[in-house]
Amino acid sequence: MRAYRALLRKDLLLELRGRELVPAMVVFVVGALVLVRLGLGGERLAGGTRAATGLLWVVVVFTSMLALVRSFAQEREHGIWDGLLSAPADRSAIWAARASATFLFLGVTQAVALPLFWLFFLQDGRSPSLAVLAAALALADLGVAMLGALLAGLVSNVRAREVLLPVLFLPFALPLVSVAVRMTVDSIPPQNGGLGALHGLGFLALYDTIFALLGWALFEYVVED
Amino acid sequence: MSSPERAPAVRCDGLTRRYGERVALDAVSLTVAPGERLLLTGGNGAGKTTLLRVLATVLRPHAGEVAIDGHVLPRDARKVRPAIGYVGHEPLVYPALTARENLELYAALYGVGRERIEQVLELAGLNGRGADPAGELSRGLRQRLGLARAMLHSPSLLLLDEPTTGLDEDGRERLRGVLAAHRGAAVIATHEPDWFAGLEHGRLRLAAGKAA
Amino acid sequence: MNGSHRARPDRATAAATAAALLMALALAMIFFYVPTDVSEGYSQRIFYFHVPIALTTYFLFTWGAVNGARFLLKRDMSLDLKSYVPMHLGVIFGSLTLVTGSIWANIAWGTWWFWGDTQLTTFLIIFLFNCAYFMLRFSIEPGERRATFSAVYAVLGVGLIPLSVIGVHVAQTNDLIHPITFNENGANMDGSMFLTFLVALAAMITLSVTMYLIELRGKRIDDRLRAIRRLAGGEA
Repeated sequence: MRAYRALLRKDLLLELRGRELVPAMVVFVVGALVLVRLGLGGERLAGGTRAATGLLWVVVVFTSMLALVRSFAQEREHGIWDGLLSAPADRSAIWAARASATFLFLGVTQAVALPLFWLFFLQDGRSPSLAVLAAALALADLGVAMLGALLAGLVSNVRAREVLLPVLFLPFALPLVSVAVRMTVDSIPPQNGGLGALHGLGFLALYDTIFALLGWALFEYVVED
Repeated sequence: MSSPERAPAVRCDGLTRRYGERVALDAVSLTVAPGERLLLTGGNGAGKTTLLRVLATVLRPHAGEVAIDGHVLPRDARKVRPAIGYVGHEPLVYPALTARENLELYAALYGVGRERIEQVLELAGLNGRGADPAGELSRGLRQRLGLARAMLHSPSLLLLDEPTTGLDEDGRERLRGVLAAHRGAAVIATHEPDWFAGLEHGRLRLAAGKAA
Repeated sequence: MNGSHRARPDRATAAATAAALLMALALAMIFFYVPTDVSEGYSQRIFYFHVPIALTTYFLFTWGAVNGARFLLKRDMSLDLKSYVPMHLGVIFGSLTLVTGSIWANIAWGTWWFWGDTQLTTFLIIFLFNCAYFMLRFSIEPGERRATFSAVYAVLGVGLIPLSVIGVHVAQTNDLIHPITFNENGANMDGSMFLTFLVALAAMITLSVTMYLIELRGKRIDDRLRAIRRLAGGEA
């Protein structure tokens, strides 16, 4: 536990000092939203707020790839893995700390993205329920961060890691995005049934639980050389 | 040879380690008795670093047996880690964190009290530089920080990879002091074995992964 | 290497024989025994190929994951091979599933609703996962590290299967309470259809086992050849 806290503190301190990740993510998300808005053109978005909500999730996934690819970059570039791995602390603490830090970075980025989303895409005064969207984002971020930290550790020592990480991650993003999109789109008024928020959150919670267990158990194997 | 009841500090029997299909260590055998210091010599790529990394439990052996204080690796790696102090080629510190912050991280990883941090900073002659980012320290000072990091938890086995590289006269004297005072065993890879005169108990030369 | 050399060809031959017999039986039943479906007509019979092939693909991925997990625990390189081969066969059976599935989706739109769109999407996710597995495997040079990472990813895939099935179903229908269950399907089929289905399933699984044994043997020979070449090269 002390190791986890120290590792998390280290990750946050490094980001605070280096300011590498979060600014890049924010710029990316803003740029992507602008691109999508312009690319779809016109005053009215075909498909309306529903389509926009789907696109928001796509942008979220790609932004998280940005954060994950740079995970463990410091450890790799300065050979620090040897220091961490020869220490008696549980290796899974490294995973847990990185997942927590990524979760926080994603949260900060989305806090910037959401108001922009509203600004760019709000149409007919209708929008997805903020509560549902925020809850879905929180749970999705957690799942992405946990699985992502595991996969980031895996590709850390592999050649084409920038390309490989999105490829490895994408199949796992698909069920997540399917449910998240459905859930948030169905929260756009008028709500006429559709996927209840609780059901969607239930699925996301299941997703998170499975990858929490798998991440915890498998990280040890991924960092061993 | 020390008394037969006590397990050797380090024992390797036919240790083999591959990188992909290339053999980095080829059936290396060695023994280090408790309290002894073994020098590893050999050219670049001979396998010295690989051997140290296996002993540091960072790499697992692919064949053969490795035991530290009687504990067999990799099965008992967790038991062994608190007793090992490893200094690699790199000082293993985060350049963006201060010297003290780096040591705080490792103190947490090793379950060591924070007072120890000041002690090792003193030992390494870095007391005034604790608040400096590690990246701003000179190579020699960073090397000293790496040594301080390895001494935090008072390990019984020291594994040092070219510890004299980049050290100035003062740094070298401190290293000599640390080694002389260290009562446990040590395995030291070096290109300057003669500098360790008076401190070494034996040498092992590696060539192309084999013990020569 | 080990003493079971003579046993292996026998197992592959036995499996091949069983597979051939079951396939013949299944084909006979599919085309001559089972009654024509009332609503979809003769071409509905593709169901008896598509679903068993799909289930076999899931079976192969699970098998690959199980052997992957065993490799992580035991570090026995033969388990790496035994994990890789089912994943590789999964590509073959997976492709067949997608092909037969889309043919069937064209023919049968409506009656068998829970075997429709959602299944294809789920399967596509799993198929993409399989392709990613191969991309991973080809980015690392052969050795223990490649085996370890492949095994980890294969095990993750096992987590993906139920999540895709549930997730896609949840996202495309309104129902979390009634996930796709085989009981529901079974209840919709009469005796002769169910029997034919089971025979077809058995045939597909046996076929996959046969292909597994054959490919495993082939890869072992490859490995031995490579080891010999390395030795010969070393002495030259």
